[in-house]
Amino acid sequence: MARVQANGVDHHVQVLPAKGAPLGTAVFVHGAFIDSLASFYFTLGPQFAEAGIDAVLYDLRGHGRSERPPTGYTLQDFTADLDALLDALRIEEPVHLVGNSFGGTIALDYAVHHPERAATVTVVESGPATQDWAHTMAGALDQATEQLPPEEALDWFVAEYGAIASTRQGDGRHDAHIRRLGRNAGKFIATTTIARDIPDGRVLSDGEVRQIRCPVLLINGSEGLVAEQTAWLAELLPGTQVRVVAGQKHSVLVEAAEEVGALALDFVITEADKAAALEASLDAALEGGRTR
Amino acid sequence: MKAVKATQTPPIPDEAQVLAEISEMIMSVLGDYAPPEGDAAITLDSRFGDDLEMESIDLVTLSGRLAEWYGPEVNFAEYLASLELDEIIELTVGRLVSYVARSLRTAATAAAER
Repeated sequence: MARVQANGVDHHVQVLPAKGAPLGTAVFVHGAFIDSLASFYFTLGPQFAEAGIDAVLYDLRGHGRSERPPTGYTLQDFTADLDALLDALRIEEPVHLVGNSFGGTIALDYAVHHPERAATVTVVESGPATQDWAHTMAGALDQATEQLPPEEALDWFVAEYGAIASTRQGDGRHDAHIRRLGRNAGKFIATTTIARDIPDGRVLSDGEVRQIRCPVLLINGSEGLVAEQTAWLAELLPGTQVRVVAGQKHSVLVEAAEEVGALALDFVITEADKAAALEASLDAALEGGRTR
Repeated sequence: MKAVKATQTPPIPDEAQVLAEISEMIMSVLGDYAPPEGDAAITLDSRFGDDLEMESIDLVTLSGRLAEWYGPEVNFAEYLASLELDEIIELTVGRLVSYVARSLRTAATAAAER
């Protein structure tokens, strides 16, 4: 485990080094409120390391074992954290970004604002921050924080999250687990500005989304939450690849980890190979130019 | 707990010793949330989630402690990544102890053959 100061926040970082000579670096960005780097540490992280890609995982500010400042939870804060983190870790080559849920929103925002540092973006059950997205988030968070007394907010959260996110609702053990996560999320919302900041953060215009230059893969559960966003993004970015995991909901990353890992790795390795081949042919062309 | 990296080949610990070592690591990871002394001790049957109330991020910390203590051959992340979600939810201390003991034996055998 490492502690890394980035953008004024003490971040918890875990690096799973590639087996053999690394083919590249992947940076994993987890979701908001109840998530942490653990979702990737026990799923895609080891799969990527095994396949020869350095896996860098970190807890977003306020989450997991990272510092929890009282304010500063807009999308632009999270994107600035990621940029500062890559600097602090001295990662100079473009990275493969893999984001789950809100982490996917951060990864896409990062690719728009720092195109030179993004080799590919893989997004699990998510899409870019748009006006509609901000409106939906604001409504859901308002319901959780303002309209219900705290003890009911927790019940609401457990019921909603269980129903929308997981294929395992009704499984007593799983519900107990979600209830524990809900308690933590309730404390997070009560002690910071995150519930106000996320809907108030910057959004991307169609024009900005069209500026994304790197290859993008979207992985969704067939019963997930973002089908509309995915269709819209795929139309704006014609090269976007979309994969759907049958029978899965929003929690597809942890509930179908092997399948999601195989899809993401296939995409990242194919694109890394293409980039390497392009670089080699450019080098050869330059070399040819020099010797002529 | 301070991790001390072994500089010479130590005897392979048996499962009882591994359980004692892992229990100490769990108590240290849980910190203020650890079960009080004399309360129900951590046993081979204790489940990380239901009994010890450990969150997945606690397991990440535990994973780091295991690698510091036993060396890189004990790769808890890789082990958990190989399990089904149901198995992870139901994971007991006993399964981790078996995995650690097995990994240490495999590493010792491989070292002896070199």
